[in-house]
Amino acid sequence: MRGPGKQRVPRAGAEGGSATSVICWRDMPRVAQLLLRRVRKSVSIVVLAAGAVSAAETPKLVDILSSELDRNFRTLQEKGDPKPYFAAYAVTDNQLISLESTSGLLAGKDSRHIRSLDVTVRVGTPKLDNYHRQPRDIAHFTLGSVVSLDDNPNALKRRLWLDTDAVYRSAAQRLTNIKTDTQVKVDAQDQSDDFSTAEPSVAFRAVPEIKVNEKQWADRLRNWSRKLSSAPEILNSTVSFQAQREVKTFVNTDGTRLQHGRTFARIIISARSKAFDGMDLATSDTIEADEPGRLPDPKVVDARIDKVMADLRGLLRAPEVDPFVGPAILSGRASGVFFHEIFGHRIEGHRQKDESEGQTFTKRVNKEVLPDFLSVFFDPTLHHYANEDLYGWYDYDDEGVKARRVSVVESGILKTFLLSRSPIAGFPTSNGHGRRQAGAEIVARQSNLVVESSRKVPQPELRKMLIEEIKRQGKPYGLYFESVTGGYTTTRSVGLQAFTVIPLVVYRIYPDGRPDELVRGADIVGTPLASFAKILATSDKLEVFNGYCGAESGSVPVSASSPAILVSEIEVQRKNRSQDRPPLLPRPMPQSGGAE
Amino acid sequence: MKRRLFLALPGAGLLLPAQGRLDDALLEAMSAELERSLRLKIAGETPYFIEYMIEDGVNFSCQASLGGLLGSSVSPYRVPRVMVRVGSYEFDNTNFVYTGQIRGARYDSNRWPLEFNRTQVQQDLWLATDRAYKAAVQEITLKKSALQNITLSEKLNDFAKQAPLVKILPAAKSSVDEKKWNDVARRLSAVLGDFPKVLDSRVEIEDSASTFYYANTEGTRVRVPELVCGIRVRAQAFASDGAVIRDHRFFHGFRLEQLPSEAVMRQEIEAMGRHLTALVDASPGEAYTGPVLFESTAAAQLFGQVFGAQLQAMRDPVSVPGRPVNAPPSELESRLSGRVLPDTFTVTDDPNAVWKGRPLLGNCEADYEGVAPQKVVLVENGTLKGLLYSRQPVRGHEGSNGHGRMPGGFGAAASVPTNLIVECKDGVSPGDLKKKLLELVTQRRKPYGILVRRMDYPSSASMVELRRLANAMQGSGSSRPVSSPLEIFKVYPDGREEPIRGVRFRGVNVRLLRDILAVGNDAAPMEYLLNTAPLALMGAGGYVVGTSVVCPSLLFDEMDLERPQEERPRPPVVAPPPLESGA
Repeated sequence: MRGPGKQRVPRAGAEGGSATSVICWRDMPRVAQLLLRRVRKSVSIVVLAAGAVSAAETPKLVDILSSELDRNFRTLQEKGDPKPYFAAYAVTDNQLISLESTSGLLAGKDSRHIRSLDVTVRVGTPKLDNYHRQPRDIAHFTLGSVVSLDDNPNALKRRLWLDTDAVYRSAAQRLTNIKTDTQVKVDAQDQSDDFSTAEPSVAFRAVPEIKVNEKQWADRLRNWSRKLSSAPEILNSTVSFQAQREVKTFVNTDGTRLQHGRTFARIIISARSKAFDGMDLATSDTIEADEPGRLPDPKVVDARIDKVMADLRGLLRAPEVDPFVGPAILSGRASGVFFHEIFGHRIEGHRQKDESEGQTFTKRVNKEVLPDFLSVFFDPTLHHYANEDLYGWYDYDDEGVKARRVSVVESGILKTFLLSRSPIAGFPTSNGHGRRQAGAEIVARQSNLVVESSRKVPQPELRKMLIEEIKRQGKPYGLYFESVTGGYTTTRSVGLQAFTVIPLVVYRIYPDGRPDELVRGADIVGTPLASFAKILATSDKLEVFNGYCGAESGSVPVSASSPAILVSEIEVQRKNRSQDRPPLLPRPMPQSGGAE
Repeated sequence: MKRRLFLALPGAGLLLPAQGRLDDALLEAMSAELERSLRLKIAGETPYFIEYMIEDGVNFSCQASLGGLLGSSVSPYRVPRVMVRVGSYEFDNTNFVYTGQIRGARYDSNRWPLEFNRTQVQQDLWLATDRAYKAAVQEITLKKSALQNITLSEKLNDFAKQAPLVKILPAAKSSVDEKKWNDVARRLSAVLGDFPKVLDSRVEIEDSASTFYYANTEGTRVRVPELVCGIRVRAQAFASDGAVIRDHRFFHGFRLEQLPSEAVMRQEIEAMGRHLTALVDASPGEAYTGPVLFESTAAAQLFGQVFGAQLQAMRDPVSVPGRPVNAPPSELESRLSGRVLPDTFTVTDDPNAVWKGRPLLGNCEADYEGVAPQKVVLVENGTLKGLLYSRQPVRGHEGSNGHGRMPGGFGAAASVPTNLIVECKDGVSPGDLKKKLLELVTQRRKPYGILVRRMDYPSSASMVELRRLANAMQGSGSSRPVSSPLEIFKVYPDGREEPIRGVRFRGVNVRLLRDILAVGNDAAPMEYLLNTAPLALMGAGGYVVGTSVVCPSLLFDEMDLERPQEERPRPPVVAPPPLESGA
């Protein structure tokens, strides 16, 4: 029998601890993966807004956190050696409802509620504290403990006190090590402080409940998954639904007192199979919205399922891609991921002061980093764009700094970086991009990335330009990347400054008017700076990619919006391939043999 | 406890039982796919044995601390497992270092849908069998090529034959009132709010009701309910010198409703709170060599850990040249027919044990290989008569006695006890036993003797204790590290008891059990959950089985206690937050 499961905090810290940090998009949030096994029985679940109050009164949880923060901080300042100069408590309250279906059957139901605590203590001075960046030594103090779902002062305060003590001790220990280290090592190039000042904020915002008609969604999922499994060549397929409500309560010793949050909803369609030669193939699609009620009409989802099926069936028969270097168009969604990976991760502030990072853009402020017809901004205050809900919005970042629009590239010129309260040379204050998943330490992360273009043409025009480019280069064909599942990139100086984007659906575009041809097994590879120089033009239609981005500070919801881009040269390599054959026996046909 | 329907089909061989008679759609779907899968053939290898099992159940768990609920979940699950053996009973793809290591792309679900449908069952089994079969063919090929370069010290068959079993019992039904047990967790955890020196504590309530479905190509068809539940209470405090002290209580059974009443559990938790509070100011124990008395609960814990864990004969897998893999041999394996306990002792493993009218937690209808467990006399008049066997042949023995209760290594099942019943002819009353301890103390001119009421135990221990156990295991040579004593006392010649802390037993092994001086007449069961990976976090998704040890108090002539080298964190700089009553 199975051992009854233990509730665990979704932790992301382990990833940040590894020597090489690989940053990637994930199609499924890790929280969701962890939470997927849990279920609560009831037909319709209405999640009550725990602690949602009018802006005027202070929520009980805020009171409990701030009184214990004050008590601990005061005594530690009095008796501690070294003394703390800053502390913060963050409680992340996560409610997740998910349903999964396969072959017309309900496969999984999950309803879970978890609260986790992150404690920050900074000892030393803002000039040099325990968070000081050291090569190959990622600061990690918070324990991400599970705390009481009830606003019960005894249970909460004991945990706050114990965690504060543990975090204070490891903070003090790391500061001692850093002080020794800085005496024996050469000075880092970036001499900026470890912590910047920020205006305290006080706001209590009610977070909407998530309302899920579980029966209705289960029925929809059964219908969708039945349809998806009707293609006999598809070996495995699922359709799932997730709704999430995240409430963040944050207090710090600057006087910030916050309670805010948001909801998420998502439909995930995925199908997998094996080609005759052993290659494993998968297609998928996701649809996101702010809340379940804003997800599209079931008919729209039907059409998306048809597309996932048709793509996979097409891929199973498609020829394998040949290694290729030549012109290509990336659809808006593909281009969004491309920018997120090769550009977005490299302008995250903390990477500019970490000597073990590649620092591609550190010294390029006010210099051209993109073609002059492109601008890029990040805007966590943007809730919708191009008729889609965005996953990367928030009111305050995880350091309690108010969200704001940050224009990072203007007409090709790099203007700034994404910043948390960890300043970098020339950029002394946060611009509201300090983010984390509960259980991880905060670093600068992306929010809603938007690529804007002044050299834009209608899609058919862009295709014509591609064909001209193919002819000009004398290539037999070009490529069209219709959809991608995600990608990853390495930003460290050890190892290649490279990225991979994993396309799902890729077509060969022939210059002689032959129909477009689907190909399988392609990975886009490249190096960042070289790739930007090759962007020739964009379409005039924006597309949005919503997803979860994983890095040192865990998995955070983000979006990337971009028009389709035409590039003069892209490199494609063949995917690794399994040697296993497809199943040996024919699919069982139990209908003839027994009762359903 | 449950209605039993027992049909043995002697010598049925590969004959599949008539379909339809089972009256179970899931087993019928499994049978149909088993039959079809025997047609698999590549590279001249066909399956000679295929087994399917499904655990279909619901887990409930909730946790609370100081009156606040930390989490609660009810999770239904249906977990399949498919095993394919190619070759023959004499030589197959198992008992090889790469058995189970080869994994192709997976298209079958690792968790089956919650809703049943024959199409899905057969399709998932089809894909899983295909994957397991291809891996088995690769494994046997690699195994054959490895054997061209190494010579085995002994030739053993790879799998024991087994007469098929057909046992169809009613499926388990889960009926946990989540809200009710959340409130119980809140209330029980709030009890420790009255003990300000207890710094951190947690109550965990768990319940698992599942049905085990099993079918193989030999004709075995099993459907048996498996129920287990438990309430664990753990607490820790800092002693006055900063040392961390812990204690626990656990209550296990089949159904939450059958556990001791809330009032009884509350009393136990209060007793634990008092003991921990007393330990805060207790003196740390010192090194000691002399007589030790284990009261029945602690004796059962010691016996389970030292003796129970050694009842499986180990077998080394075939390894690749230059990289031998040696399983640690069992201490008992070489002592068969030898004296292992005083000659007044009899030890049996009884899969149908009843204690005071109530079935014990280790009761078992079918093991992980679909074999019905047999009652095994392990020790008779102090002499080792038998061990626990799965279908994996080992040196000197081939044939299961139905104790392969857990997934083991290299394609085999691991054999573990059901209910270990320790009986002794000349037990004396607990009072007389304590007198005997004091007599020994006086005789040997010791200032005090040692009394143990409760040990830590791997299935309830904290991560810190598990890590310590693992460290001890590495450096211990032939002795078995046992968990730390949690409730241990100095007993002075005048009978006065003084709690001590921070000591652990050294050099404990099976041989020690021969030196038991006296025994109580107070046998009591200790019921617990056994985990495949004893050092993995309990409940971290692992496979567990219920087990029990019934043992009287034991008086040892001489044991060694040592002070473990442990770090002592400084007490927190900030005083604890005051506890609000009635919060």
